[in-house]
Amino acid sequence: MRRNLIPAISTLAVVSLLAACGGGAGGPSGGGGKISDDKIVLGVINDQTGIYSELSGPNAVKAVQMAVDDFKAKHGDDAVSKNIEVIVADHQNKPEVANTKAQEMYDRQKADAIFDVPTSSAALAVAGQAAAKKKLYFNITAATTALTGDKCNKYTFHYAYDTYMLANGTGTTVTEAGAKNWYIVYPDYAFGQDMEKSFSTAVEQAGGKVVGKKSSEFPNTSGDFSSQLLQAPAAKPDVLGAMHAGGELVNLVKQYNQFNLKDKGIGLSVGLMFITDIHSLGPDALAGTKFTDAWYWNFDQQNREWADKFKEKTGSRPSFAHAGNYSAAMNYLEAVQAAGTDASDDVVKNLEGKEINDFFLRNGKIRAEDHRVIHDVYLAEVKPKSEVKEDYDYEKIVTTIPADKAFKPVSESTCKMG
Amino acid sequence: MSPLLSVQCINASYGEAQVLRDVSLDVAAGEVVTLVGRNGAGKTTLLRCLMGLHRPTAGTVTLDGADITGLPAHRRARRGLGLVPDDRGIFASLSVEENLRLPPGISDSAWSMDRVYESFPVLKERRKFPGTKLSGGEQQMLAIARVLRMGARLLLCDEPTEGLSPVLVRQIGDILRDVKAAGVTVLLVEQNVRFASTVADRHYLLAQGRVAQTLDNTEVKEREHELLEYLGI
Amino acid sequence: MTDLLQHAFNGLVNGSFYALLALGLAVIFGMLGVVNFAHGAFYMLGAFGAFILLNEAGVNFWVALLVVPLALGAVGMALERLLVRRLVALDPLYNFLLTFGLTLILQDLLRMKYGSQPQPYPQPAGLRGTVDLGLFDFPAYQVFVLVFSVLVSVGAWLLLARTRVGMIIRAATERPELTRAMGIDVGRWISPVFGFGIALAALSGVLAAPMRAVSPLMGADLIILVFAVVVIGGLGSIFGSVAAGFLIGMLQALGNVYVPGLATTSVFILMAVVLLWRPAGLFGREETAV
Repeated sequence: MRRNLIPAISTLAVVSLLAACGGGAGGPSGGGGKISDDKIVLGVINDQTGIYSELSGPNAVKAVQMAVDDFKAKHGDDAVSKNIEVIVADHQNKPEVANTKAQEMYDRQKADAIFDVPTSSAALAVAGQAAAKKKLYFNITAATTALTGDKCNKYTFHYAYDTYMLANGTGTTVTEAGAKNWYIVYPDYAFGQDMEKSFSTAVEQAGGKVVGKKSSEFPNTSGDFSSQLLQAPAAKPDVLGAMHAGGELVNLVKQYNQFNLKDKGIGLSVGLMFITDIHSLGPDALAGTKFTDAWYWNFDQQNREWADKFKEKTGSRPSFAHAGNYSAAMNYLEAVQAAGTDASDDVVKNLEGKEINDFFLRNGKIRAEDHRVIHDVYLAEVKPKSEVKEDYDYEKIVTTIPADKAFKPVSESTCKMG
Repeated sequence: MSPLLSVQCINASYGEAQVLRDVSLDVAAGEVVTLVGRNGAGKTTLLRCLMGLHRPTAGTVTLDGADITGLPAHRRARRGLGLVPDDRGIFASLSVEENLRLPPGISDSAWSMDRVYESFPVLKERRKFPGTKLSGGEQQMLAIARVLRMGARLLLCDEPTEGLSPVLVRQIGDILRDVKAAGVTVLLVEQNVRFASTVADRHYLLAQGRVAQTLDNTEVKEREHELLEYLGI
Repeated sequence: MTDLLQHAFNGLVNGSFYALLALGLAVIFGMLGVVNFAHGAFYMLGAFGAFILLNEAGVNFWVALLVVPLALGAVGMALERLLVRRLVALDPLYNFLLTFGLTLILQDLLRMKYGSQPQPYPQPAGLRGTVDLGLFDFPAYQVFVLVFSVLVSVGAWLLLARTRVGMIIRAATERPELTRAMGIDVGRWISPVFGFGIALAALSGVLAAPMRAVSPLMGADLIILVFAVVVIGGLGSIFGSVAAGFLIGMLQALGNVYVPGLATTSVFILMAVVLLWRPAGLFGREETAV
């Protein structure tokens, strides 16, 4: 019987691969005069069940649906079309799946615009499809600056955040506040490498120094980051910059606390953090940690009102990605309303250079040069548990970074709009 | 007097191949009975059927008047059947002493450890050894001692002399005679008819899954050459 | 040098999880011949069990460390009686597929309820902060995990080596049929052994809760590595699985420092080398190999 284990393990490997390749939800199909196919179709492509399903996922689809409902309610009989559909696809964070799903949505399901798409490589694939099909794509959850840089195109817009904005916000502010020496740990794949470069640049420009950096395997199957953490004190950094996302970040922070690096004079700074991550760790584990947030639900009354509506629909508080999806969908529909057509070129013309102020976009502007949607962002600090008054009340906004300072200046952009 | 063990019309097969056909035999209490036959005659299969390790397709097995055909192996063991398998069945991951202690004592006639060590001093010397570090003869003693320690009434011994030197064969013979003297019944599978005739009371000759003949000791002695030829030895 | 020792020590802490998981896997495999893919899922359930007890009932870590393994061990016994037992007579692949399917179901049930975002679990009171180990400081909780795992491993070894139950398990693992012929009801021990293996998985899950991300996928990430540990240690070898667990934890930790990027791969390279050199694994008995 024993000899059967080896083939069994091989089978296991194959089965796991098959399982990983299966699944994937298609949405209901649809078709779009002035309004193509007599309907407007908004597609959402994101991670429905995996590691990014909490921070955007199914609730991002609900946010887009909320935008559609609010748009219909607002314009009533004057709406450019009453026939507005939302369709969904799960890309499992795989670029090739995202590419196929985007193609399918634009061609067969008559999608006029696609939203969200976490994971940078997947987002770049969808942007490529948008350019080829001349249909719109609003990226919300992917972080790469390539979407508004080398890989920019006329039909792709980048909402919410990117690696430059995170590094500029957190890296610059923390360095200027006195933490000159940084020890950066990052996951060894596109996002992590991008984050490490952006942060190193931001830290050095602010007069700081990267005294050490260490990558970790991705994915980190053992869940262990102590090797990286144990090596940090020797470099005598003021701050540990953690560039991991989601579950890996949660693990890393737990271990940072266990190794008592804080008491050894090494602060913690996190590259990218969603409110769902703080919820996972419990605020105490992160208390005092500064990070850059694109939006916070409990920032003011306007945000809170929207967050209350969101909670009614979903039972939880929104991440900035959820709010970003709503805002992008709403502003897209308003642009269609204003243009009187869903023809892509007319909608793009309406959007370019538009200044917008809504609950998500404060001092917002859609830059015509590179399609970066700029707005105020926030340097946030995690509250200690003692100051948390309700669920998800985790952040204290330290400063607002104005829209024109928060993102990479147009002068530095490598984008050439075709 | 009803026999201790009574086998009625046992049929058994491995997949398509029928190995035992209508085998019937009796063993009286206190008797030593051998099963002789060529390789593949079905001797080992018969012992496995008796022990409950192989399910016969038909037939009944009665022990001391009770039908035990449907009982699982461990319950048969607890009723007094003790198996000494053809490979001796020594557990490699157990020490000699653990091999002896493994079976639960099932009756008053169970041998104490002291009695086992008294009868088999070599096992006492080697009691801390892993079971499989013993020589072939010592392993055979261990296998027999183990079922005696359990207190088995009926030993099912599968070729205990196979591969042993003449000296050791004689020693095993002595042991079996002692066992018999202690009142234990033995069903012995044996190809060595000369050895068999020195320890057994009666013999069943098994051929192609059937009981071909029943022989007593004098018949065996008279027909030894014929039998050896038949057995291909 | 101190650095090296510190990393090696850290490796032993990670190895604790491998050792406990591999031990359970080896016991189950030895006795039932079942490759229990659901082992990772029970590790995950162990961590969630601790999380749920804390959040729903305010039950602390120490109580969870006792209650959760017992409860999941009972679930394991039920699983063996209701499902695994029916497939044991067939090709081992059937039970492998059963436990694989079960893993997917358990993961998705937890995901439906809690989502895939990791859940928070605090450090147990009394084990926060660090302890001075002479040459270096180390987090108290990690030191506890290591000491506790070694104790559990030694306890399991004593149970197997020194008790009658252990003797029966060793015998039944080696030759189940002959053990029955020795008057022992082997079937009676199968459920408890399966439950014991599952309880060990649950125990390592509870131990993981305060230091690892508690998420539905935490076990799936780990289990493949633990399979490698079991193969390296020698299939069904109790001592081998524990020793290989600690060894591989160390190998991975040192790999992380000196050859980053190859740390996990090195485990599988080691597995390949061991299989070529000693097909029965480092501590497996040759006769149990092919």
